[in-house]
Parts: sequence; structure tokens; C-alpha cells
Amino acid sequence: MLDSIKLRMAQGDPVVHDVHNDPLFPLFRGLPVLADNPCPPDCRICSAICPTGAISHEPLQLDMGLCVFCSRCQLKCPSGLIRFTGERHITVTSREQLLIRGGGQPVRPEQASEAIRSMFRRSLKLRQVSAGGCNGCELELNAASNVNFDMGRYGIEFVASPRHADGIVITGPITRNMAAALEDCYEAVPHPKIIILYGACAISGGIFKDSAALNREFLSHHKTDLLVPGCPPHPLTFITGLLDWLDRKG
Amino acid sequence: MNVLTVQNHRPFRISELPFLAITDFENTVRTLLKNDHRMIALMDLEEDANGIKVLAVLSDSAGGLISITGTVFDNRDKNFNSFAPDYPQTHYFECELAEQTGIVPIGHPWLRPVRRQDTILNDRPYEFYRLDGEEVHEVAVGPIHAGVIEPGHFRFQCHGETVYHLEINLGYQHRGVESLMVQGNPAQRMILAESVAGDTVIGHGMAYALGAEALSECRVSLRAQYIRVLAEELERAAMHIAGLSGVTNDIGLAIAASAYGRLRTLVINSLGLLCGSRFGRGLITPGGVQYDVQAANTQAIRQYLTTVLNDIQPINDYVFNATGVLGRLEHTGVVTRDWAESAGLVGPSARACGVITDTRHQFPYGAYRYNSLPMLTLTSGDVYARARIRAMEINESLQFVMERLEDIPDGPLYVPPENPLPDSGVVSVVEGWRGEIVHAAFTDAHGRFRRYKIKDPSFHNWYGLALALRRQGISDFPLCNKSFDLSYAGHDL
Repeated sequence: MLDSIKLRMAQGDPVVHDVHNDPLFPLFRGLPVLADNPCPPDCRICSAICPTGAISHEPLQLDMGLCVFCSRCQLKCPSGLIRFTGERHITVTSREQLLIRGGGQPVRPEQASEAIRSMFRRSLKLRQVSAGGCNGCELELNAASNVNFDMGRYGIEFVASPRHADGIVITGPITRNMAAALEDCYEAVPHPKIIILYGACAISGGIFKDSAALNREFLSHHKTDLLVPGCPPHPLTFITGLLDWLDRKG
Repeated sequence: MNVLTVQNHRPFRISELPFLAITDFENTVRTLLKNDHRMIALMDLEEDANGIKVLAVLSDSAGGLISITGTVFDNRDKNFNSFAPDYPQTHYFECELAEQTGIVPIGHPWLRPVRRQDTILNDRPYEFYRLDGEEVHEVAVGPIHAGVIEPGHFRFQCHGETVYHLEINLGYQHRGVESLMVQGNPAQRMILAESVAGDTVIGHGMAYALGAEALSECRVSLRAQYIRVLAEELERAAMHIAGLSGVTNDIGLAIAASAYGRLRTLVINSLGLLCGSRFGRGLITPGGVQYDVQAANTQAIRQYLTTVLNDIQPINDYVFNATGVLGRLEHTGVVTRDWAESAGLVGPSARACGVITDTRHQFPYGAYRYNSLPMLTLTSGDVYARARIRAMEINESLQFVMERLEDIPDGPLYVPPENPLPDSGVVSVVEGWRGEIVHAAFTDAHGRFRRYKIKDPSFHNWYGLALALRRQGISDFPLCNKSFDLSYAGHDL
């Protein structure tokens, strides 16, 4: 037992104390900023290289819901018009908020309704459903509960049973083979319940969006509450997004 | 000539592939299997008026070469004599071929679905193998599991606590990767490869890039080769630490699970320092790498890895010596060396049984040709060995990265690849952290991809987990599962 106490002491203080502001690694790709300057005429380099078709022109627009943050557009743009910043606050409440245009507007989720806030501000239990996720998003969601990011300190936890949950977090593009299980799981969550989409695949299908193996009908039948862009999104994007939505101080 | 012999990452012309009569094909494959070859692909190449062209790809670790033979199945005769009764390692490849093409392996001991949930085999929907008798019960787990983890279905046939048979039924994560690889453009293919298994971004990414470079006859600089290998070893160390965290979590040793988790963060943040992604996404591209090892990032990476190497030692000492831990890990989930070899298991889970298997040594590629890591094996094949070998490999991988970090050759990061050779193929084998990854790519007359086959190491190793559960208590299932730490998405594609 003494050994185990010594081991605990040796871990020091690994917690990220200021989840909103403690710095991430310099090359971290968060919110993309598009310069206001016009693109050179007929230049389509960025949209041609973008693997998910996230970029469109006239006006130049980057859809963070499709973006897999691969940075090819930033690396290839001859005029340096696209730049991924270290801004981790990119969780939103609607698909339209993910469309980034020139001018560099900050992105913040709208606050949850009074009813949701009062119920879940201090205790939010979530059931994660991997509907075709590659394990990147699953690993980052697990990391959100680790000793560094510790979302448990905000009362946010993943639970095993949908019966114990306040909502679901979907990862993956929603494969045909998971469509029924996803529906059953959501059905089993008692009201009131929320739906969070975590990662490009969940939001838009991502790199799999044209696959015949998907069935995304679930999303036509149910309203989603939060969208967390990224591939995979950083655990602090998830945590700060929830805190902002629930109007909690970090 | 019955067999085309090729090297890892060397292109060949499709016209050189032998397509034999079915009996000759069967005999050729049997001869290779008898001579210690391992099956690494059994795939349809294409279908035309004559029938379905099928290739069998087998590797010879002793000689470091890959053998390919083929046949054509016409519509009246879509069957062959199964190799599996004599060579169990082929069993799942034959199931996959049957599911994808309808070609039936006659005499297959256990024909079952691989990725589809509506598979009709032998004109009947599939039924799980069941145990009958007094006090027998069946436990079904999944697809959705308790934790934040990918889905899969596990069907246990039990008598009391003892599991007599575990059947693992996957396919829930099937996204159609192989089809998308053919339809997509090069940038899409790179992202798809990185996303086969999001915890094996570098492994699958490298397998794709090396194959694409071979087909484009593109020579990647030494600098880029080294950067890729450093990233591969960082990925290996990070996921092995995650594995140890999982194993200790599942025996209730929370302090160790948390402590390992803290150290994994430092390793993946090193990948983040290198290329902006904690998983190495965006680093590799056909032709080289998109990010460089520079003074700006090496100092911080060195600091992180020094901390990991120092701090992991007391955790390992505690975990691998505590009586309570050893009581759970030792003699649990044993897979013998014989079973592992005959089932064709790969990676550290196979090395933990004493199987000699490591692509970095047997089919060396990239910078592994110039600098190697030792291949480690243990013998007990239990959860203890699978955990212990991870601890050993973490140490080797991080020492390797520390030694080479500031000592890699100069050179361009990237050489633009030419268009791929027409009507050509390549087999690309790399050692991912779970084991042997195989990508096989084939081009058409215009150099466009016409067929892409992927084999994740989990394709073999899920059966290892099923074997490990025999005569085990069902409550040891989560621990055994974590000790293998396999990929659902990598299997399902």
C-alpha cells in the first residue's frame, strides 16, 4: 500500500487547470481563419486538394463539419489565405455555425436553454455510441476522462447504460450495420435527452460521406444539440464546448 | 511458372501473375503452406466474362519474399477445396472470400460471416454455434459495449462461469474503405488509409504511402524515411501504454491505469509537436512527409520522452511485482505457441507466445533497413506475457526515438510522385503496433487504382482472443480482450 501511495505522489499534478486557456502544442490545428483578401483568379488549389470537399469558392468558405484538419489547404495555398489557429473553442450548436468565411469570426455555441442548463449544468451523464468510428474519436473521448483533462471535475461522465444517461455522443459516420443499435440505444435514454455529434464523420460523414455502407437516417429524425468538429476533436474542444453551452465557468 | 515471387514494396506487372486451373491453384497454395508460408491475402482481383480472378498471396518470413498465385472461378464452378482443415491459418480468409464473391470453400470447418450481417452461406442465414445441455447458458455482449469503445458482438457458450466457446461477430464498423480507396483521389486515399484504424494512423498510412510510392517508382528521401519510422515508434509506444492502462484498469488497479494514461499523453503530445495531430494525422503523404523534425520541436519531444522513460519504470515495477496483479494476469487467457502459429497470429500478441514474427525484421522497409529494434519474444502466451511484452516494447521504441531524434540524415521532406504504373500491382507489408499490416494495390491501363485490399493485424488476432477464452472464467473476458487490444474498425474496413 505504501508503494501505491508513493506511486500516486510521483504523478504530481498532471491536471490541466485552465481548460480554456492552458496552451496546447504549437502546431495544434483548431479554428481555421480565412483571410479577407480575394483568391487569385481561377485558383482552385485548395478545393481540389481537400479530401472531403470542405472548401468552396465565391465566397471562399471552409465547412468545419466536413473538415478533417489535414492542413493540406494551408500547406498548398500559394497566397497563404487559409491558416489553422490554435483556437480550441469550435464546438457549436448548429451546422451553419461551422461554415467559416473570410474575416475570422470567433465561433461559440449558443447557450443551452434554461431547462437544459438547470438540469445538466452540474451533472451530465453521457452514453457514447461508436457508429463506425475509427477509434480516433473514441480514444480522445476516453482521454477527456483522464487525469490531464478530467471532465469528471465538472460532473461530466460517460455511463455504461443508456438508462443512466442524459444523452448520447455519437462518433463515426453511422454505418448501416450500426443504424439499428444506435436507434435502440437512443430510444432507451430517458427524457430529457441530448444528442452530441463528435468528429467530422458524425457531423457530415467526413471522409466516408460518399460510402454506400452508411445509413444516416437517424439524423433526419432527431435534432442534434452540439456538434464538435475535428478529426478527431481535441478533448479540450469537447470539454470547453460543453462548459460554454451549459454556461459554466471552467 | 505457378508462382510470381515479389519483394515487399516492389511493383510487378499484372500480366506476370499466373492464373492456373483450379486444381493446380489448390496444389500450389498447399505446397506453399506446407513450406511454412503464411497466407496474407485471398482476394478477388476482378470479374469479367470468363469469371472471377482470384489471387492468393503468401509470405515467406525465412526468405523475406512474397508469393502470389491465382486462378479463375467461372460461374458454374464457384468453389474450391478448403485449405483450412489442414492449415487453420487460412480459415478466415476463406470466409472473407466467400462473403465477398460467393465462392464456397468446400469442407471449411466453420464458414461464417466476416463483415456483413445479411450473409447467406450454404443457402442459410448464419446461426451461432451453440452448446446444448443441462445448466448451459449463452451470454451475448454487444454490439454496444459498456465503455467508450467500438462495437462488436461476443457470444459466449458457458457452463457456470466457464466459457467453452467464444464467437466474435464483427462488421458493425464497416464503412466500405476498400471501395472508397478505388473511387478516391490521392489526397482522399491518404486520409482513408489514416482512418482505417484511427489508432494506427502511421501504420496504415505508411502501408498505403509505401505502396503508392512503389507504383509511382518514387524514391522517398532518407530524411522522410526516418521521420516516418520515428512516428511509427511513437505510435507503437503510445498505444502500448494505452494497452497497459486498459489492462490495469480492468483488474481495478486505478492508480496504475491513471499513471499510464498520464504518460501516454506525453507520447501523443510528442506526435502533436511533430505534426499538429496527437495521432500523427497529416504527417505522411505519398512522396514523403509534410512536417519536419526541427530544433523547435526536438527539445520538447526529448523532454517528454525522458519523463516517460523515467516515470514508467516505477509503475511497471509496481504492476509486474504486485501479488494481486500477478494473480490476475498469470496463466489467464493462455494461447500456446502451436495455436498461435497454426492460427497465423501476428504482432506482440503472437510474440508473447514465442512466435517469431516482426515485419521490421523479416520484410524490412524504410529506415528499418538501416536501424533496427530488437525483436522481443516471451513464452507464456498469457495476459501477463501480452502485458509484459508491451512494457518491453515501449522501452525499446522510446529509446530508439531518443537515439535517432537529432541524428537523422538531411534531405528533402517530399519528392512529388509520378503517375502510377499502368496494369501493375504491389504488396505493401508494414509492422503496425498490433502486428502485420498488408495493403495490396492494383492499377488499370491508365494507372488508376482498380482494386485495393487491406488486411489489418486484427483480421488474424480476433481468433486468438476467441482461443484465449476457452476454459476461462467469463469474468476474465474484459481483461483478455484488453490484453489483445484489437481493432474493430481495422477488421471491418
